[in-house]
Amino acid sequence: MKRTLALFVAISLIFVFIGTGQVKSPQDLKFPALKFDPPDPKAYRTVFAQNLRGYVQEDHSLPLVNISAIVHFGNIFTPKDKAGAGQLLEGTLIKGGTKTREGSAIEERIDFLGGTLSFSVDEQTSTLSLSLMSKDLEEGLGLFFDVLMNPEFRADSLAISKGRLIEDLKQANDAPSAVLAREFETLLYSDHPLTFRPTKASIEGITQGNLKAIQAQYFSPKNIILAVSGDFNKAELVKKVNAIISSWKNTKVVYPTFSQKFPDVEPGVYFIQKKINQGYVSLGQLGIKDTDPDYSAVQVMNFILGGGSFTSRITSKVRSDEGLAYNTGSRFTYRWGFPGTFSGYVQTKSATVGYAISLILKEFERIRKEPVTDDEMATAINYYLESFSDFFTAPAMTMMNFARLEMQGKPLDYYKTYRDKIKSVTKEKVMEVANKYIHPDKMAIMIVGDWEPCDKGSDKFPGPLGKLGKVQRISLRDPLTGEEIKPQ
Amino acid sequence: MKRAFLSMAVFLGIISFLAAAEVGLDVKEHVLPNGMKILMIQRPGVPRVVCHIYYKVGSINERPGTTGLAHLHEHMMFKGTKMMGVTNYEEDAAIDRRIDELMDKIYREKFWKQDGGDKEKVAQWQKEADDLIKMEKKYIIKDDLWELYMKNGGTGLNASTSYEVTGYYVTLPANKVELQMLLESDRMQNAYFREFYSEKDVVMEERRLSENRPGYLFDEQVRAAFFTASPYHWEVIGWMDDLRKVMKQDIIAFNKRHYTPNNAVAIYVGDLNPDTIIAMAEKYFGQIPKGPDLEPIRTYEPPQYSEKRLSGEGPAASRITMMFHIPPDGHADTQPLSLLAGILSGDTGRLYKSLVKEKDLATRVMAMANPMWYAGSFSFMGYPKTEKNVEPEQLEKEIWAEIEKIKTEGVKPEELEKAKNKSEASVLRGMQNPMFLAMRVGRAELNRGWRSLVEDLAAMKKVTEDDIKKVAAKYFVKDNVTIAIYKRSMGR
Repeated sequence: MKRTLALFVAISLIFVFIGTGQVKSPQDLKFPALKFDPPDPKAYRTVFAQNLRGYVQEDHSLPLVNISAIVHFGNIFTPKDKAGAGQLLEGTLIKGGTKTREGSAIEERIDFLGGTLSFSVDEQTSTLSLSLMSKDLEEGLGLFFDVLMNPEFRADSLAISKGRLIEDLKQANDAPSAVLAREFETLLYSDHPLTFRPTKASIEGITQGNLKAIQAQYFSPKNIILAVSGDFNKAELVKKVNAIISSWKNTKVVYPTFSQKFPDVEPGVYFIQKKINQGYVSLGQLGIKDTDPDYSAVQVMNFILGGGSFTSRITSKVRSDEGLAYNTGSRFTYRWGFPGTFSGYVQTKSATVGYAISLILKEFERIRKEPVTDDEMATAINYYLESFSDFFTAPAMTMMNFARLEMQGKPLDYYKTYRDKIKSVTKEKVMEVANKYIHPDKMAIMIVGDWEPCDKGSDKFPGPLGKLGKVQRISLRDPLTGEEIKPQ
Repeated sequence: MKRAFLSMAVFLGIISFLAAAEVGLDVKEHVLPNGMKILMIQRPGVPRVVCHIYYKVGSINERPGTTGLAHLHEHMMFKGTKMMGVTNYEEDAAIDRRIDELMDKIYREKFWKQDGGDKEKVAQWQKEADDLIKMEKKYIIKDDLWELYMKNGGTGLNASTSYEVTGYYVTLPANKVELQMLLESDRMQNAYFREFYSEKDVVMEERRLSENRPGYLFDEQVRAAFFTASPYHWEVIGWMDDLRKVMKQDIIAFNKRHYTPNNAVAIYVGDLNPDTIIAMAEKYFGQIPKGPDLEPIRTYEPPQYSEKRLSGEGPAASRITMMFHIPPDGHADTQPLSLLAGILSGDTGRLYKSLVKEKDLATRVMAMANPMWYAGSFSFMGYPKTEKNVEPEQLEKEIWAEIEKIKTEGVKPEELEKAKNKSEASVLRGMQNPMFLAMRVGRAELNRGWRSLVEDLAAMKKVTEDDIKKVAAKYFVKDNVTIAIYKRSMGR
């Protein structure tokens, strides 16, 4: 068997020692040249039996193996009346056991081997991940695929999982940050599978049969991509996996299509009452997809606006200059197949909520109207170029990145072209995308906080909050029923 | 200056004794003449280097009245030096001194006088200070250090303060480590605390964020009741009143005392050449004078003598916390206690099996051993199944019953072996991530040396079932426990 240490990256690193004199200023530093070419996904792409795809990298630095299976199934694929099925699948795929093993036996064995086995369900994908010592690989692979292929979702594990989820629901309105994140998304995406939330009734109505049906429908080899790295021989690993999955049949899956239309949100202030000493604020609108041709320009623009931490305008103004907040900035979020969101955010004491929002709005206007400076452009672009190799610092992460690319149908030369796309962004393009995607006049400003002191404001921005737009008070929903909580 | 006691720099080469080699922990070590230690772990491959510097200072080095100082100081370390963050140091410093004088007058008026002083005077001084702060802005280069790191590809850029250690982090392209050496050596000796008063506000906002976390204020009280005399009594963020009153001279004195090369360790993990790193460290950190020796904390935690109980209500999940005092890190009992926490916790642990699975009384339950540098705690925490109207008090009885079982019947050999396997594998797993590895090794170095990570692993392997039984009997007793019961109620 040819045992090849996969060439991870083509690196040309030339250290030119710069002498013994201590440099007095950062401008005097002369760095030796460094060339970095990203690894090519094709070099790691592997097709197993049954059309199961994977990205595999040997890494013998530690006696460990990491294996993840990304499944094309997520919460979005469950109907409204079954909301919570994804969370229950998460809680029972391992614990519910398989046709031949009790869940507790699987967990006991993995724990005894010092391994970890976990399963999570996200919006459109689910991930089963195993990490264990390389000496236990064969046994680990057996357990891993047994869980993936033959789960039973036994009743006792389902009951425990339901109980836990219902207790979690009771806490859904406790943390202001969680309330804001949930309600802001609900406002922007309205009544859509992206925003379906479980209730006690929907959870209680989910059966073992429902979970089995999900697994049977979606957990099919061709809908799964593996990411494997660690201390093994690739050819041997492929052989072992192929032997285990030889009888795993592909099923025909028809993925539902979802509406891409979201209703316009009435601009203004949406206020959610919570008796706390700060206002938690998000102000924004729907954003773009990360497959949009403007993606790189938006990244650079947002870095300058509020995404580049202390180097960004919003953080510099709201936090550093004014001392109004610990967390503040702006962000574009991205989701597969749908536009993400754009928002400015801040958490500040109640009296300065209005003032902090006004400062963020000013920065939104400024980046639309004034060209960014050459220094700002240089910082943003250099950051993306110079930190690029960070995508590949751990083999497990690299393989996951490649697996996700393929799962989402993105081009496999994504990383190869990444830096050129960033380099091509100009100041003019930054202003263009700022105008195209940031519309302060159409924004929803959502605040979770204590109404009276927030509305009263402070010297620099005396209330009322109505100065920022029409104010609508939003009642929280009872997380157990999904019904509005009527004010007492 | 006790130069006679300074040893020549000695490159110790590869110091990896057998146990270290077993877990693949190959740390290269170099000590500078001023006592600063440089640690290096080579990880060839991707051309990045994790560059961390840790100072042996945290909130335990504060005193009542100055709580939160170590953390605020960490924030202030990003506010520049003579070289960084300013266009004209002398002009800026002149304005800064006038601001400080005014703020000192305000401080005395507001806080030294029982009635809050003359409000008109305070307002006038504040206006003058605000005008000066505006005037100073023309000399300030905002977040200069941060921007410089970022435009050079710095990631993982951050800092943190714990009870015992303060760390400053950046990961850079492998050809730019010298930038970190320059900037960190500069701020080690030349930190200048501009924009102090707005940064105090930022930290108070950070504290408010904590306060708005469900259950935080109760947990803070529980900790204060558990640790009564030692400086673990307060949280790292500090009491709000101390944050309000902290002054710049507090920060300056703190900096002079603790930010010395002999109180720091720098660690580099990644695609590096140790000779190059050492040469640069000599050049940048090596020329900083050694500081005075520092006394460790003075007040240790006294024995508890009687059970303590706290109860609270608020808008967070109902739960019970039971905290027992245990010895600090490095004590022989900490290994059996840590393994016991492993045996009790997790979804294959005793507590889950009994309270969640078999009796259906709780949704989550866990145990944690937390031996710190000078004190330790062993905590049980349980969330009752409120759908079945289970109260936290019922979980308390159940947890005591589980404790009794361990005291009388001990643990099974396979339980112990499982806990050992988990513990060992988790150390290995942690080594996969260069940043996490730097944190583990750097912090360990400041307490008992980085080799303690390996020694602890060896000690852990020797723990017997009898050891576990003994520590349970010794520490899990009524007069060593603080029991905190929190129940959900809406509103505050």
